[in-house]
Amino acid sequence: MTKKTSVLAPGLVQERSPVTEQQLIDAGVDLAKDFPGSSVDDFRQYPVLAEGGWYIVIKHQRTLQTVSRVPWRLLGPISLLSENLMLD
Amino acid sequence: MNPPAAAVQKKTASIPEDDFRAARPLDTIFLRDMTDAQFRARYNTDRFTASVLASRMRYIVKHMSTGLLTTAFSMILRDWYDFAATISGPRHLNYPMCSGSDSLSIFMFTMPEGIRNTIEEFGAENLREGDVLITNDPYRVGLHVNDVSFIRPIFYKGKVVSFVSMRAHQLDMGGVVAGGFSGTKRNVYETGVVISPTLLYRNNKPVASTFNFIFDNARFGALLLPDIKSLYQSLLLGERLLLECLEKYGLDAYYGAVQYSADVSADAMREAIRTKIPDGVYEAEDGVDADGVDASLEYKLKLKLTKYGDNVEVDLSGSSAQARSSINCGPLDVKGAVGIALKMLIEQKAPLTSGCFRNIDIVMPPGTFCTATPPNGTIFMYWESSLTIMIAIYKALSKVLGQEAIGGDFGSLLLHNANGVTKDGAVWLTAATCGGEHGPWGATRSGDGDSYTVNHFNNNLDPATEAIEADVPVVMMRKDYIADTGGPGANRGGAAVCRETLWLTDGDHLASPFHAKKASGVGANGGCAGTTQAVWMFPPEAFDVIGKKQFLPRTQDIYAVSVPIGGMLDPKTKVLDPANGEYYYWAQQEIWHAKAGTSLRFQTGGGGGWGDPRTRDPERVKRDVRDEYVTIDGAYRDYGVVVTGDPVNDPENLQVDMAATAKRRAAMSHPSA
Repeated sequence: MTKKTSVLAPGLVQERSPVTEQQLIDAGVDLAKDFPGSSVDDFRQYPVLAEGGWYIVIKHQRTLQTVSRVPWRLLGPISLLSENLMLD
Repeated sequence: MNPPAAAVQKKTASIPEDDFRAARPLDTIFLRDMTDAQFRARYNTDRFTASVLASRMRYIVKHMSTGLLTTAFSMILRDWYDFAATISGPRHLNYPMCSGSDSLSIFMFTMPEGIRNTIEEFGAENLREGDVLITNDPYRVGLHVNDVSFIRPIFYKGKVVSFVSMRAHQLDMGGVVAGGFSGTKRNVYETGVVISPTLLYRNNKPVASTFNFIFDNARFGALLLPDIKSLYQSLLLGERLLLECLEKYGLDAYYGAVQYSADVSADAMREAIRTKIPDGVYEAEDGVDADGVDASLEYKLKLKLTKYGDNVEVDLSGSSAQARSSINCGPLDVKGAVGIALKMLIEQKAPLTSGCFRNIDIVMPPGTFCTATPPNGTIFMYWESSLTIMIAIYKALSKVLGQEAIGGDFGSLLLHNANGVTKDGAVWLTAATCGGEHGPWGATRSGDGDSYTVNHFNNNLDPATEAIEADVPVVMMRKDYIADTGGPGANRGGAAVCRETLWLTDGDHLASPFHAKKASGVGANGGCAGTTQAVWMFPPEAFDVIGKKQFLPRTQDIYAVSVPIGGMLDPKTKVLDPANGEYYYWAQQEIWHAKAGTSLRFQTGGGGGWGDPRTRDPERVKRDVRDEYVTIDGAYRDYGVVVTGDPVNDPENLQVDMAATAKRRAAMSHPSA
């Protein structure tokens, strides 16, 4: 029997970074036309795991519409030490 | 209005081969809405040929599986079906998994990334005809180290056009616990040998150094070797059947069918998301009781599912940091669990392919107990953590799905693992055959939950008792349903399963009741949860089954002499008491040493009920009393049905007192209140 009270292990959060107007422009977004009433602050950038693997996406947060989806590392947050090997 | 054929063609033809992972535009047109010309433009074949080829691919993976079932040597493959076969498309299509076999869906949903990660790390340019690659790293290919990926590149006219794969559990992969199944291992070095993408065969000849690497690090090589030879033959069978398709239909049609197969699943899931889940944010929590270090920390999953239009995003932010021992799972397991949960809830008709995820994004902070990272985020008992994802999605969507919601299953494998030495000196090992690996499902609007199957993301077999007893020194004493354990509902959750074993030699045992504090079998649509899981040990000095030549009694008083291994139990009587019991921690002993003559009793959780139990037809409740799924007291307490008679000695003459039932039901509040 365990008499000691347990506590919750601390929670971790995946940050969603703000984006710049330039990033939206680079993604081909015309705010006024494509997202009327929205501002640059309505978009966030973060990694996702999806059908084709890991991607860094920029999404309109209210509608989940993706405006940019760029492949990330194969293993997402994990990188291999061997990636630093210099092979001739 | 349908777009012109040229526009459809442009969507798939504009991705350069060296940019294979570039995101493709999401579909704006369903397959069913395409004209024949649009279909041909997109897939380079006609609908009939594409669907014939898709069916042939499913036939191929089923034949590969049947081949392994009939030729494997170890019980975990031969009798458990602990493997899956898949077919994936080529690199320039980003390795779409277009077909999977009938067994473990969690295996299949990790394979799309598993194939891509393996081939990209090995180097697609390094592949040769006659190769087989293996890898087993949970961080590269998901699952745990014992589940090894065997991947065969399929060459046609000199280039790689596809991959056939088997993901198959190996009886042992080294590490500090024989058989591997333990939640107490503290880092990747203790879990077993990690194989990065490596050649197992080249030019159709075994690579001796790879075999030696495995056999030098793993136990039971004499069983692993014939199993691996059987796996190789299944890959060859898949290759031969696939090449027959290519010869008959041509490469263009094959590539078209690969994409079509994934698009069928994508279409179906997209439609289900759009029509069955209202736009909104849905949140729920679940968790694991403790890790294998001590009972001081609980691990909570926080899940937020956002749906808008055709798209779903699942975010695990706020979930607990990774555990200190091997109860964690990894991101690929999370992805699989998300996909299976949505398949179970909203889309059951289309095959499992990588296309299921086209409109699903998963957001995961690294380093949680569901997204563990090496070396200390140890992954082995991955299903126990990834099942929390499924349960949380069931909870999150329960209200909004209403009658479409389903009750949770037993939410665990409650797995048993043991080893020892027989009297003649032979080492024995049993994995996943003598614990609570099989149990109930929850109820649905269609009926009561079945009481003896595997959890929702596995689809394995239950080894025959005779096979188990021939394999290890054990007597299977009991496989039984326990009354009043299935979640009450208009449709009742499946009953908890009690499995009891008697051990004939000394042995070291491990058990995994990781979900004992809260019921995994959550109720749906007003149904109630099932009971929680527990495990007890009965040493011979507590009850000498062999000496007395008697079964362990089924009465509750026997628990008082037990050694509890895990569960929420009354501290005096040691009887299961989910509501008011005290927590018994499963790793209070890292290994449970049991002398010959010891009995173990595993009781799974009960399945969740569906619908208000007060509306269950009294005649169905009476039948449950007759069949001992429900007691007379339980019928009154949980269903408001007054049953009279003797269910044990005169089960066919039970009666329902309709007047008393009406009175009771009018007065009773919902049982979960």
